[in-house]
Amino acid sequence: MGGRHFAGRPSSVATAGKLVSSPTVDPTAQRHPTAVWYRNVRVLRFVGQGVAVVAVVGLLAWLFNNLVNSLDRLNIGTDFGFLDRPTDFQIPFDEGFDPRSSVRSMVLVGVKNTLVAGAFGIALASILGVLIGIARLSSNWLVARLATVYVETLRNIPPLVVIIFFGFAVFTFGPFPILRDAEGLSLFGNTALILSNTVWGVPSLVAGDGTGMFWIFVLAGVVLAAGVARWRTAVGERTGRPHHRVAYAFGTLVAVAVAGAFVAGDVYSVSWPAISENGRRILGGFQLNFGFISVAVALGLYTASHIAEIVRGSILAVPMGQSEAANSVALTSFQRYRHVVLPQALRIAVPPIISQYLNLVKNTSLGVAVSYAEITFLTQSSIGNGRPAPQSIAVLMGVYLVFSLTISFVLNLYNRRIQLVER
Amino acid sequence: MKLTKRWLVLLLSLVLVGAACGDDDDDDAGGGSGTLEEVRDRGTLRCGVNSVLPGFGLVDEAGNYTGFDVDFCKVVAAGVLGDAGAVEYVPLGVEDRFTALQSGEVDVLLRNSTWTATRDGQEGLTFVFTTFYDGQGVMVPADSGFTTLEDLADANVCTLTGTTTELNLTSVFNARGIPFNPVTFTDSAELRPAYEAGQCEVWTSDRSQLAAFKLAIESEGGAEQHIMDETISKEPLGPAVRDGDSAWAQAVQWSVMATVIAWELGIDSSNVGSFTADDANPAIARFVGGAAPGLGLDADFAVQIISQVGNYEEIYTEHIAPLGLPLEGSTNDLWTNGNGGVMYVPPYS
Repeated sequence: MGGRHFAGRPSSVATAGKLVSSPTVDPTAQRHPTAVWYRNVRVLRFVGQGVAVVAVVGLLAWLFNNLVNSLDRLNIGTDFGFLDRPTDFQIPFDEGFDPRSSVRSMVLVGVKNTLVAGAFGIALASILGVLIGIARLSSNWLVARLATVYVETLRNIPPLVVIIFFGFAVFTFGPFPILRDAEGLSLFGNTALILSNTVWGVPSLVAGDGTGMFWIFVLAGVVLAAGVARWRTAVGERTGRPHHRVAYAFGTLVAVAVAGAFVAGDVYSVSWPAISENGRRILGGFQLNFGFISVAVALGLYTASHIAEIVRGSILAVPMGQSEAANSVALTSFQRYRHVVLPQALRIAVPPIISQYLNLVKNTSLGVAVSYAEITFLTQSSIGNGRPAPQSIAVLMGVYLVFSLTISFVLNLYNRRIQLVER
Repeated sequence: MKLTKRWLVLLLSLVLVGAACGDDDDDDAGGGSGTLEEVRDRGTLRCGVNSVLPGFGLVDEAGNYTGFDVDFCKVVAAGVLGDAGAVEYVPLGVEDRFTALQSGEVDVLLRNSTWTATRDGQEGLTFVFTTFYDGQGVMVPADSGFTTLEDLADANVCTLTGTTTELNLTSVFNARGIPFNPVTFTDSAELRPAYEAGQCEVWTSDRSQLAAFKLAIESEGGAEQHIMDETISKEPLGPAVRDGDSAWAQAVQWSVMATVIAWELGIDSSNVGSFTADDANPAIARFVGGAAPGLGLDADFAVQIISQVGNYEEIYTEHIAPLGLPLEGSTNDLWTNGNGGVMYVPPYS
């Protein structure tokens, strides 16, 4: 018989007919000997990872130790006590801020300003980005070309340049006069809009006595509207006819809100902006300073160009067959986008759009160039005025980390619900 | 497997190199002492200066630095190294000037920085001398008609962030009950267009800076400017060094003060060669020829400084007087002249 021959072992052929299993070597045992520990792959991988961790942690610990030693040598504090000391300087365009309040409250003002600019920029960028992304795919030649010019121009300019250009072009060298000479645009006999090269005044709503009751009514209306929507959905599923749940729910909410306004009485009054006697301030209304407008609008326009590209790419990723099928059942162009293409396209677009939102919030730090008092600007001012630099920057990094992690966490919840699961 | 090994080796060598470099740095930075030896070993002085302020620190297209503070860099180099040209200029902005000095990137900071208690304490610096007694002033367009600070209620005030100007503006205006709105920038290059466009009606800064920019604006065809008489605060400007290195601080201090001592004694760059150690005036004899006892400076540091750079009057007249700030009768005049000046130095004896 062929097969394996072990030296020194009596051949099983000799004992014909009798199968003898060898007493010396078990053929089911491992054929190769166990590797020596320094050639055993698993041991080496473990040791290698251990050494890498030790090296990285060691490096970081050494750097940190260096920093603490240097600060001690210069008698600069290594603690975070500076947060409790007074700020000592005034924040631009923030009359209510008392310079004697602590650095912590200055940080909160900076956080608020960053979030407001970020929220406004995100809203503008989203709406504009989707519209321009769709416009690039339009069959109208002029619309498509204009959208392409917009995207290609703004995508290739650094955001700082966009912000500075906007600030200079619109405000410093722009068409708006100084506040004293500014004229308001009137509406209903009241000044509705004041445009100057430092601040813009818009009307605002001032809460009255009945505001609290009004909002309780609105809350009740929301709950009622949710119930109505659920009822209409059930009706729709039972009868198969269009449920119009959005219209019904919205209708109930409006009805309850109007009823609440009547019952509550003085809900909101309008505060109109006006230029003060000495021509230097706007009294009343809501003031937008030139730093905020420059940062929010410029970043909105810049990020819109990126979002337009993402949306365009995601629309093109929807299979052509979907559009052909939509056309074959005679959906209009608007219906095709609204019901077929965009729902599928936006599922793909959400992760890159999340990162564009994060970029926008981080890019608000460029507001330093136009004197917008967001958190980076305030941190730089406070470091320049004697607060310890490493701790201040640590606080700043922590703030941005919290922003980014929160935004991405919240939006990833939405993404997980709608994403296409391929792997 | 081979790839993992390579990465391991790379990481280990990185850590070892880092540790080796770290030891060197620790030796140099240990205790803060030894800047004098370091500068002498290196052969050049690293001086932190302004690069955009006419009169104090300005760089031209060819990369040459000129100005009052720049000349004092040369003074320190001449005193410590014997060569006024052995200077490496490091241009710094308001936000990184102190961290550059703290970290050792520069040996001395001569960037029109004000001597305050916070900076001596919290920033870990030591100011050695006041080379320029300045004050904070306020500039408005001449046709605005403002004369006092109270006229500026509710105005937009342009200022640089991270400066004593910002702090003084806040405390003085709040103390007087004048409401205002600061419009702050990090760079005068951003501030000037905003001021000229009317986005702010007031520009506040050190009077010397305002004088420099007033000259620049008016000579380039802008509107006429008016610097108010009111002085908001004291701004003593001078060189700063790191804490914990008194040998270096003394070397810088006496090099800088030598320019004023020379002015007092009537020695300038044109006649310094005519004085010797045997002069009839013992003060001059000591100053020109005597040994510098324990200051860490060479015996002829005074002669090197005055002959290579000049005395205080020459430096001031060359850079500050053209801004419209004459030396005679100003705060920076010699105390011994009796004109109300406060430039007073300890005797070299």
